[in-house]
Amino acid sequence: MAAINVPLRGATRVAPPSTLQRIGAQAVLRGLTGLAALASFMIIFVMLFFLIVYAWPAIRFNGIQFFTSPIWNIGNQYGSGTIVRNGYVGEPGAAFGALVFIYGSAVTALLTMVVAVPLSLMVALSLVYRVPRMIRPLANALVELMAGVPSVVYGLWGMVVLVPWIGQKLAPWVTAHLGFVPFLGGASGSGNGLAASVFILSLMVIPIMVATTRDVILAQSNTYFEASMALGSTSWQAMVRAVLPSVRKGIIASVLLAFGRALGETMAVLMVCGAAINSFPENVFSPINTIAAVIVSQLESALTDASGMAQRSLAELACVLFIITLIVNIVARGIMRGADRAEGR
Amino acid sequence: MAKALTGTSPKTYISHTWWALSVACLVAVVGVLFFIFAFVIARGVPALKPEIFFTPTHGIAGGLSNAIAGTFLLVFTGLVIVILVGLGTAIWTVEFAAPWAQRVIRFMVDVLVGIPSIVVGYFLYVALVEIAGWGFSLIAGALALAIFMLPYVVRAADVALTNVPGALKEGAVALGARPAMVISSINLPYALPGILTGVLVATGIGLGETAPLIYTAGWSNYLPQVALTHSPVGYLTYVVWTYISQPFEASHQLAYAAAALLMIFVFLTNLLARSFVEYKLGKSQAR
Amino acid sequence: MRKTMALALAALLLVSVGGRALAATDLLETGSTLLYPLMNLWVAAYQGDHKDVQITTQGTGSGTGISQAISGVAQIGASDAYMGDAQMANSPMLNIPLAISAQQINYNVPGLNNVHLNLSGPVLAGIYSGEIQYWDDAKIKEINKQYASKLTHNQIVPIHRADGSGDTFIFTQYLTFSTPSWKSGPGYGTTVSWPSVSTAVGATGNPGMVQTCQNTPYSIAYVGVSFLNQTNKAGLGYAALENRAGKFVLPTAETIGSAARALDAKTPADERISLIFAPGASSYPIINYEYAIVNPKQGDGTKAAELKKFLDWALSDGQSGRFLDAVHFLPLPESIAAKSKAQIAKIQ
Repeated sequence: MAAINVPLRGATRVAPPSTLQRIGAQAVLRGLTGLAALASFMIIFVMLFFLIVYAWPAIRFNGIQFFTSPIWNIGNQYGSGTIVRNGYVGEPGAAFGALVFIYGSAVTALLTMVVAVPLSLMVALSLVYRVPRMIRPLANALVELMAGVPSVVYGLWGMVVLVPWIGQKLAPWVTAHLGFVPFLGGASGSGNGLAASVFILSLMVIPIMVATTRDVILAQSNTYFEASMALGSTSWQAMVRAVLPSVRKGIIASVLLAFGRALGETMAVLMVCGAAINSFPENVFSPINTIAAVIVSQLESALTDASGMAQRSLAELACVLFIITLIVNIVARGIMRGADRAEGR
Repeated sequence: MAKALTGTSPKTYISHTWWALSVACLVAVVGVLFFIFAFVIARGVPALKPEIFFTPTHGIAGGLSNAIAGTFLLVFTGLVIVILVGLGTAIWTVEFAAPWAQRVIRFMVDVLVGIPSIVVGYFLYVALVEIAGWGFSLIAGALALAIFMLPYVVRAADVALTNVPGALKEGAVALGARPAMVISSINLPYALPGILTGVLVATGIGLGETAPLIYTAGWSNYLPQVALTHSPVGYLTYVVWTYISQPFEASHQLAYAAAALLMIFVFLTNLLARSFVEYKLGKSQAR
Repeated sequence: MRKTMALALAALLLVSVGGRALAATDLLETGSTLLYPLMNLWVAAYQGDHKDVQITTQGTGSGTGISQAISGVAQIGASDAYMGDAQMANSPMLNIPLAISAQQINYNVPGLNNVHLNLSGPVLAGIYSGEIQYWDDAKIKEINKQYASKLTHNQIVPIHRADGSGDTFIFTQYLTFSTPSWKSGPGYGTTVSWPSVSTAVGATGNPGMVQTCQNTPYSIAYVGVSFLNQTNKAGLGYAALENRAGKFVLPTAETIGSAARALDAKTPADERISLIFAPGASSYPIINYEYAIVNPKQGDGTKAAELKKFLDWALSDGQSGRFLDAVHFLPLPESIAAKSKAQIAKIQ
């Protein structure tokens, strides 16, 4: 049947079917949108494949030492001759060990979780149960707004306010008075370092976790809470012992997602981490470096490497980061889908 | 139960203490975040003199016209790509895909959210700026932003299209409309508020990205050229990142001004997105 | 509604690009943060008379300058470091000196910022390799006898450049030429593998070095002389360095000039030479040519012509004191300027 035509007064002709109508607009639509879906699907695979292929010379050149050595050396650009390892060429002295960066990323992200997870849970609980009904929309809006603040703005505040405060007030006080605690004693440093990075990352990650935890708790019916109270527990006990365990899958998923975000965060960390090279932090105020930050700060140096090996080693670093965050994300999404299926959603 | 009501048992005190602690955490977190807000606005707004909207950056000072124009241009171009690909993906998923394919696509798009920004930036730098030879360019920067914005639009469109009431669709088919026409005249208009919300959320994300743009759009001290390749584009987040470390007060002013502008834009897009959600809720409740 | 939205977007687009002179040639200069302040002064003056060319300047580090000049993204790669043989073999570029600059060692030691401490290559090498950890170390006191009482037992925070930097290049060359253990260790380059020092901080760009030094008591940093005014304003002290003749000298026009003259005659035609640790009793040990790394084959006739015009201007009008004095640079001697002009003529 022809397309719907509201007959206009006086109009009697029906246009002959166009090419589009003959092929079938539906087939065209299906084809185009299918292509779009294919593109969305393929992005990750294309990126991963490309990066691995591009980094392959570095993977062969560096071998296992990439993961075990703390020394990152792009080699002597002003020397003579080159070195060859496993068939690939590098400048004399070149040795790419990423242990410092992998360690930095891991420690920063883990410490961030240690700080941010309890805080987020507390904030989410108080948002759901203690904030007066009138302020609730405002509080919620505020939390969501915080999640949208660009990371450079956090980095800006970190550089101008946080780092000087840590370097000149907090760190000297802590190392002087709490120096007996492991990792709190020693040099007070410049303020750029692990403590500043963890602080900033926590601020960035808390709004995301709070929003998800709050949503997950609200979606949960009140049965568990009321049943627990009926059995004589206090409201806090009901919360922690009955409701939270029932939504733990959602919380674990959001924690994992936040962990992935902390691992991959680049700009804010870059501005406050202290850009450590070849050295491990001796306390929480020492400079560190993360994989994401070091790629940005070392990229231009790497481009001066005549053999190109430094650039490919950075690509290898990007691969490592990519694969780790992919795994974390996939596990988190898997848990969330498992939770949804269990709830019958 | 009686003990809990009179509140004399120790465990009730413990409960009250924990709740008080939770509120303290809320106040602390909101307090710090509010302090950051206030800091940026307090330093940035005075620096937002009218001239900066009309003069470009000059190395270490000047204005923000090139950065503002560049940010809008990059986000706009990125949105064009994202709406085409994202809407297409969502339509295919909802209308044409088998259930297993739906699960796979939704999963892959969700995973896209967590990619580190520098990985995308580095990939596009090597692939487009170097190997393809496009240099720092609008298209590379827009593609970088598009990859980040895509999942938000796809998800929003997906949910919005799925929620179109079956009755409407069936009514249209009963009147003789072919599937393509159903999609264009029934589904899309109904899903529009949801899709627009997704677009606005994506815009907020795109406004704030830096790392991927450093190596794709590059930087320019001049207003953007009408060229897809071989012409770098400036953007606000770059100003915040680099101008704050210059030892000149004028540069710092510009960095704060850029940061304040970014916060204002993000705030506005957030507000718009929320009002769309309420508009849609209001509309569906009115029927 | 849709039409108005589309119109609004189109208007926004037009406004954002409308102001652009479509006929102007675009040149990109990127690289050394040491040359950046001078480049900005030059471009501001040059653009006044030459409206048909638009030169964007960026302070991104010499490493970036070299790599982006090689890849063709930038027309002028500003660098304090000349290219090495391996790099030249891969990509033959022109290393064109535009001015003579120097580098000072800044420090932030409460109580000593208003005087000039004496520092030498071996002592600096010790600080940056972690052998010398405290300001009251015997080796520092030995060359600073009059300040020995003011040097306290505080840990030194050595600040190095995190990005690929020409300042790192000239600083590490000073360490290499003066200290055998550094020569066989990290050596020199725009990026070196810094020895493991737990307090060592990396900063980005000369501005980052200034800011980090300012914010960190007991820190030490190598900073380009174009930032000397800023470091003085920030209250940082700068050192008198030991030169090849064993004398401790400050970076002044005389000492920089003395070092430049000593190596004037030895500069080859391709002008890739180190001016570090020059002989002479009054020579300042850390000076260098500021290079414009340029690809001789530009591929675009208009850009090449505009590029040559600007570089020639920099070598003539640009050598005037009203540009160089603010950044404490020296103009090129006649013979060197002539060699630079000969290299510029090769650009096409």
